[in-house]
Amino acid sequence: MIRPVLQLPHRVLATPCAPVGEIDDTARALGHDLLDTMRSSGHSVGVAAPQIGVSMRAFCVDVTGHRKARSCHGPVVLFDAVVLESSTPEVGREGCMSVPDLTGDVARATSLLVRGLGMDGELHSYEVDAFEARAFQHELDHLDGLLFLDRVVADERIFRRRVYR
Amino acid sequence: MPHVAVTAFGADRPGIIAAVTGVLMRHGGNLQDTAMTQLGGHFAMMLVVEVPDAESAETLEAALVAEVGALGLTVAVRPIIETAHDTAVGTPWAVSLYGADRPGIVHRVSQKLADHGANIVDLSTRVVGGGPEHSYVLLLELVLPPNADADRLAAELQALATELGVEIHLRPDDADIL
Repeated sequence: MIRPVLQLPHRVLATPCAPVGEIDDTARALGHDLLDTMRSSGHSVGVAAPQIGVSMRAFCVDVTGHRKARSCHGPVVLFDAVVLESSTPEVGREGCMSVPDLTGDVARATSLLVRGLGMDGELHSYEVDAFEARAFQHELDHLDGLLFLDRVVADERIFRRRVYR
Repeated sequence: MPHVAVTAFGADRPGIIAAVTGVLMRHGGNLQDTAMTQLGGHFAMMLVVEVPDAESAETLEAALVAEVGALGLTVAVRPIIETAHDTAVGTPWAVSLYGADRPGIVHRVSQKLADHGANIVDLSTRVVGGGPEHSYVLLLELVLPPNADADRLAAELQALATELGVEIHLRPDDADIL
């Protein structure tokens, strides 16, 4: 089912999500809603549960066909995902369906090892890099109540170096 | 509700933003888009402010001059007749330039961009180092209209860079919606 995507300043977007735990029919229905909602907005490559008003640690990602993608695992739904390894970060410009009008430069690890529960209730590990790694980290941030606004680096701007005496 | 443009400029010191926005708040103003930054040891504020119908730019400017003039700020308030919407259609690009300073860099680069129909949406420059050999850094973001030729613009910017003796780089600045 396609669900409406919540936007700033909805409080659920700023709230850390609860673990899903067991993958039951409710969790699977949530997974399908995430996929349906992502596919309904042509330019989106991921949706996290809080974006559709569910404060649970679940998200989906699909970078199929994206020109910046290297690794591509197709449509992925993960519950209670954790990052096991991450590489050095690289800055890229991001926007978010929940933050209309704005984009910002965000440093994200260029490769990532992530493990979480799939729709089948089994543990799955994903080695992702480039754009898929960025998408995973963006969605994982949502589960911690963080938006890209919380991670913006002022890459475009330059500042006087401070001298403290 | 109408909007006004507020600008304030003066020697930097703690409390400038609090003082200016305090006056605006007491007059029923609601800040919209703003940019405030240090420029060469001074502090510059540019604000679009939504104000009540009864509030005129003249009275607001008079109030600001009276209440924050002691901070040494030069203040101006002007009515905005129509709220300007972001109408730039096209693709986002970024330009970085650095090299030995000389008069006319910003003009020559911005004229070149204007010739291609590019709309500059953000620009900042910094003088780097002191003395006669100081350098200049320019960063800007622009929107290139759909019919523009980015390759030709890049080539012409390279020619301009050679003429000015600076480095100029043009790169796509598009964002991914996640």
